[in-house]
Amino acid sequence: MEFYHTIAEALEGILDIVLFRGKALNASLLLVSIDIPLLVAFVLLAAGGLSKKFVRILAVAGFVAPALISVWLWYVYFVGHYSDYAFASDTPTGLENFGISLKLGLNGISLPLYLLAGIVGLAAGIYAINSKVDRLRQYLILLLFMQGGLMGIFASIDLFFYYFFHEIALIPTFIMIAVWGGRGRRSAAMEMAIYLTLGALLSLIGLLALYSGSGLNSFDIISMREYFSENPLSEIFQDNAYALLLFGFGILVSLWPFHSWAPRAYGAAPAPVAMMHAGVLKKFGLYGLIQIGAPLLPFGASQWTGLLIWLALGNIILIGLATVGQRDLKQMIGYSSVMHMGYAFLGIACFSVIGVGGAVLLMFAHGLSVALLFMLADCIYRRTGTCEMHEMGGLCRKMPVLTCFFAMGVFANAGLPGFANFWGELGIFIGIWKFQPWLIVPAVAGILISALYGLRAARNIFFGDLPKAFDEKTEMGDIRFGERLPALVLLTTLILIGFWPRAISDTLDNNLTALYPSNNPTLVIEEYPIPQDLIFDPLESEKLDENLPPSRL
Amino acid sequence: MSLTQILLVILLAPLASALLTIVFFRRKGSVASVLSVGAAGIVMLFSLYALYFSEVKTLHVSCNWLSLGGLSISMGFHFNQLSALMLLVVSFVGFWIHLFSMGYMADDEARGRYFGGLSFFMFSMLGIVLADNLFMLFIFWELVGFSSYLLIGHYFEKNSAAEAAKKAFLVNRVGDFGFLIGIIWCYWHYGTVDLAELESLLFLNPNLLITGMGLCLLCGVLGKSAQMPLHVWLPDAMEGPTPVSALIHAATMVAAGVYFLCRVYFIFTQDVLMVIAWVGAITAIFAAFSALAQNDIKRILAFSTLSQLGYMVAIFGVGTQAGVAEMLEFGFYAGVAAAMFHLTTHAFFKALLFLGSGSIINACHHEQDIFKMGGLYRRMPWTFLFFTIGVIAISGVPWIGAGFWSKDPILYLALKSNAPIYGILAFSAILTALYMGRLWFIVFFGEAKSESAENAKESSIFMVLPLAVLGLGSTFIGGMVQLYPAGVQQLLEKLPEAHGADHTLMVALSAGFSILGLVGAMLYYKPGASEDRLNKFAPRLFAFLKARLYFDEIYGWYIEKIQQPVAELLGFFDQLFISGLMVRGTAGLTGLVGIFVRATHVGSLHGYVYWFFGGLLLFWALAAGWF
Repeated sequence: MEFYHTIAEALEGILDIVLFRGKALNASLLLVSIDIPLLVAFVLLAAGGLSKKFVRILAVAGFVAPALISVWLWYVYFVGHYSDYAFASDTPTGLENFGISLKLGLNGISLPLYLLAGIVGLAAGIYAINSKVDRLRQYLILLLFMQGGLMGIFASIDLFFYYFFHEIALIPTFIMIAVWGGRGRRSAAMEMAIYLTLGALLSLIGLLALYSGSGLNSFDIISMREYFSENPLSEIFQDNAYALLLFGFGILVSLWPFHSWAPRAYGAAPAPVAMMHAGVLKKFGLYGLIQIGAPLLPFGASQWTGLLIWLALGNIILIGLATVGQRDLKQMIGYSSVMHMGYAFLGIACFSVIGVGGAVLLMFAHGLSVALLFMLADCIYRRTGTCEMHEMGGLCRKMPVLTCFFAMGVFANAGLPGFANFWGELGIFIGIWKFQPWLIVPAVAGILISALYGLRAARNIFFGDLPKAFDEKTEMGDIRFGERLPALVLLTTLILIGFWPRAISDTLDNNLTALYPSNNPTLVIEEYPIPQDLIFDPLESEKLDENLPPSRL
Repeated sequence: MSLTQILLVILLAPLASALLTIVFFRRKGSVASVLSVGAAGIVMLFSLYALYFSEVKTLHVSCNWLSLGGLSISMGFHFNQLSALMLLVVSFVGFWIHLFSMGYMADDEARGRYFGGLSFFMFSMLGIVLADNLFMLFIFWELVGFSSYLLIGHYFEKNSAAEAAKKAFLVNRVGDFGFLIGIIWCYWHYGTVDLAELESLLFLNPNLLITGMGLCLLCGVLGKSAQMPLHVWLPDAMEGPTPVSALIHAATMVAAGVYFLCRVYFIFTQDVLMVIAWVGAITAIFAAFSALAQNDIKRILAFSTLSQLGYMVAIFGVGTQAGVAEMLEFGFYAGVAAAMFHLTTHAFFKALLFLGSGSIINACHHEQDIFKMGGLYRRMPWTFLFFTIGVIAISGVPWIGAGFWSKDPILYLALKSNAPIYGILAFSAILTALYMGRLWFIVFFGEAKSESAENAKESSIFMVLPLAVLGLGSTFIGGMVQLYPAGVQQLLEKLPEAHGADHTLMVALSAGFSILGLVGAMLYYKPGASEDRLNKFAPRLFAFLKARLYFDEIYGWYIEKIQQPVAELLGFFDQLFISGLMVRGTAGLTGLVGIFVRATHVGSLHGYVYWFFGGLLLFWALAAGWF
C-alpha cells in the first residue's frame, strides 16, 4: 500500500511539472529546460520507426528549447537585478528520507554556466543533426541525454542532483566516444571512463562528507551554506574534505598531472561530444569548487592553495609548451583546453572575487571558444581527411569563411580583447598579483604560448601553399549552413560578451561578494592631496569627474 | 554636439564600417571601399571640427565597463593636447591613405577584407589615442596588433606574407607580455590606472616611482614601435599592401609606442628614461646602417621608419630626463614636445614616401628592387615631384622640408643635454640623407633597367591626389607651428628653440648633415647606377650591414633549436610518461574493468541504455524505500 502511495505521489509530481502547477512560470521553465531534451530522448528511444527527417525535427526542438529558455532566464535575472538564487523550485522525488529533493534555481555564478550549457548544447546539437553519421537516432538520443544533464548540473541547488545530472551527461560521453569515435576510440574511451569515474567517485565522497558533516540531513546547498557560516567544520575535516573535492574535481577538469585522458579522448571523440564535454561538462568540477568547495571549506581551500598553484602552473606552462609541440590538430586543441583549465584553477586559488570572477568568466568564454575550435577542426578533418597540420596548407583559398571562423576561434583562445576570454584572463591575472605577485609572470607567459600555437596552426592549415593533393579535390567546399549556424552562435556570443562583459559579470559580482573576500587596491592618490598652487595652466574643461585636477598636457 | 559625442562618433564610425563590411559586403569590394573611405572621411571631418572649432579643449569622461569585487575597469576618453595632436595625425593622414587605397587596391579581389581591416584598424588606433586608462589602452593596443596581423597577411597565399603576419603578432605579444604585467603592477601599486589620476599623483610625488614598473611598460613600446631588440617584425611587415605599410607601419601604429611614452611621461624614473634614450639612439643608428644595405624600396623605407622612431624614443628619453633632473631651461615637456612634433611631421613625410613608393611599385608591375627601376622621373613626373619633397623632408634640408623643423629641435635638445646621444643622432642624420639619396638617385635617374620600369605610367588621380596633400604637409607648411589647432599650441610652444649663435649653428649643422648625405649619395652611388657600389667594393661590409646584427638568425635559432625541441619533448614526455607509464601501468585496474565491461557487453546500444536505467531505477527504488 505504501508503495502505491509513493507512486501516486511521484505521478502527482510529474503532473505538477507538466501543468506548471503551483510554481511561477520562470521556475517551471528551469525544470522544463532539463526535461525537454530528456523527454525527446525518451521519445526517440521508444519510437524506433521514425523517419530520419522527423527524428531531426524532434531533436532540433530538444536542443533549441533549452537554449531559448537559458537566454530568457539570463535576461530575466539580469534585468531583475537578482543577487541570490532565483527561479527556485522544489519537486519531491520520494527520497526525502535522505534529504534529497529536486531543488532547482539559479544564482549569479550558475547563471553564466547555465547559459553556456544552453548555447553550446544548441551549437553541438545543430552540428550533430546535420552531420552524416551512422545510427543517427541513437547518436542524437545520447546527445540529448547529455544536454539534459548539462542543463541540470548548473540548475541544481541540491548537491545530490548536481552530481546526478553530471553522471547523466558523463555516461553517454564514454559510449559515444567508444562507438562513434575516431582513431583509438576504444582505448581513449576506456582510459577516460576509468579516470573520470575515479574522479567522480572522489568528489562524491567529498560531497557526502559535506552532507554528513553538516548533519542537516539535507543536500540543499543554501541551507548548508547558512549552517556552515555559523558552525564551521573542524580544520582537519575541512582539510580532508577539500582534498577529496579538489582532486576529485581536479581529475574531472584535467588538472595536471591528471590530465592525460583529455587530449586523447578529445582527439578521438566525435565533434559534438568534444564540444559538449570540453565546453560545458568539464566545468562541472570548477563550478563545484567555486560554488561549493571553497565557500563551504575556506580553511581547507587555504591549506591546499600552495599545491594547487603549482599544479595549475603545470597546466599552463608544461601543457602549454606540449601544445606547441603537437602536430595533430584535434590533439592540439585538446591540449590547449587542458592548458586553459590551469588559468581557471589559478583564479580559484586566488580566493578573491576578482580571481574567482575571472575564472567564471574564463570558463564561460573557454566553453564557447573550445567548442568552436573542436567543431571547426572536425569540419577541416571531414574535408581533408587528415588532422596532421603539416600535411595541410593554403586552405583559405578553398574555404575563406571557415578560415575566418577558425582565426577568430584562435584569437579568442589566445585572449584577444574583444572576445570574452580576455576578460576572464585579465581578471585572473589581476587577482593573482594580489595573491602572489611573481605568479603573474608564468601566468601571463601563457597568453604568449596560446598565441604561438594558435597562430602557427592557422598559418599551417590555411595560409601559404596549397598542397597538390588538395588542389585536385574539387569537392572541398567552404563551410555549409549546418556548420555555419553553430559557428555563428558560438562566435556571436563570444564577441557580445567580449564587448560587453557586464552582461554576466554584474550578477556574478553580486553573488561572489557574498562568498569571497574583495580586494580593494589602496588608493594611493587619496593619501597625497594635490596642492592647489602647484597646478599650472588650468585649462577650461568639460569634466564630469570633478575630483580630478586638469591635465597639464 | 558636445565634445564627448563628437569623440564617440569619431571612435565608432570606423567600427560601424568594419562591422557592416564583414557582415554584408565581404564580396562587394566597391561598396566596402566607399564605406571605409566614407568612415575615414567622417573621422577626419569631425576631428578637424573638434580640433579647430570646439570650445572645449580638454575632456575626461569614463564609464564603468566591468566590476568584480573592488576591481573596476572603465572605458572613457582622456582628451588633452597630446591626444589632440595624435588625433590630427591619425585622422588626417589616415583619410588620405584610405583614398589612396581606393586606387591602389582597385584590382584586388579581396577588397572587402582589405577595407574592413583598414576600418577596424582606424577604430583600434583611435581607441589608443583617446583611452583614458591603461586597461583600455591595452585593449586597443592588442586590437591594433590584430588588425596589423590581418593586413600584413592580406596576400596570404604567399608564404612570406603568412609568416610575416604571424611574426608581427607574436613579437608584439612578447612586448605586450611585459606591458600587461606593468599595467597590473601599476593598478595594485597606485590603486588606479586612470591617466589623469596617475599624472596628478606621480607628477607631484616622483618618489613613488618604481623603475621595474617603468621597464615593464617600456616592453610594450619596444614591441609596438619596433625598437631593439623587438624590431624584427617591422621589415618583414612590408609584405602587406603598400598603403598598409604607409598607414600602419609608418605613420600611425608604430608611432603609438612613442605616443604612449609621451602619454605616461610621468611614470618613468630617471633610470628608465636613460634606458629609453639609449634604446632609441641605438635603434636609430642601427636601422640607418641597415637601410644602406637594402635593395627593396619598401624595406629601405621600413628601416628608415625604424630609425626615425628611434629618434623619437631617444629624444623623449633624453628630454624628459633632462626635465626631471631640472638641468635645463627647456622645461619639463621639451622631450615630449620634440618627440610628438617629429612624430607628426614624420607621419606626413613617411606616409608620402610610402605612398610614393606604392605608386612606383604599382606602375612597375610590383617590381620592388630599386636596381631594376631607374629613369622614372620622366615617366612619373608627379610621383617624382612629391617623392622628392618627401626626400627633402626626411633628410632635414633647412627650411623647405617639414623634417627640418622637427629634427632641429631634437638635435638641439640632444646637444644641450646628452652629448653621446647627440653624436649618434647627428651621425644617423647624415646616414638618413645618404640612404634616401641613394634611393632617390637610383630610382628616378639614369636609364630604365627592366621592362616593367620602361612601361611605367603615372598613377591615377586617386593615388596622386593623396600624394599632393601629404606632399604639401611635408613641406615647410607642415613645420609651421602656427597652423596647428589652438588645442595643441601649448604643447608645441614647449619645443626647444635655439636662439642667436646657437640658432645659426644648428641650421648650419642641419644643412651640413643633409647636404653631406645627399651629395655623398650622388657622388658615391652615381645617379641611375645599376648595382650597389658598396656591395661591389666592400661585399663583406655590405653583407654585414644587410644581416642586421643577426637578430633574425638568433631568434630563428632559438625557436628551432630550443623552443620547438623543448615543446616536442614535453609533448612526448606527456604522452609517454604520464599517460603511458603512470596510467596504463595500472593495467590490473584496466583489466578488471575490462572483465566487467565484457560481461555486460550485449552488443547493442539499447542494451547499454537499458542497463543504465535499470540500475538507476533499482537504486532509486531502494533508496526511496519503495520495497
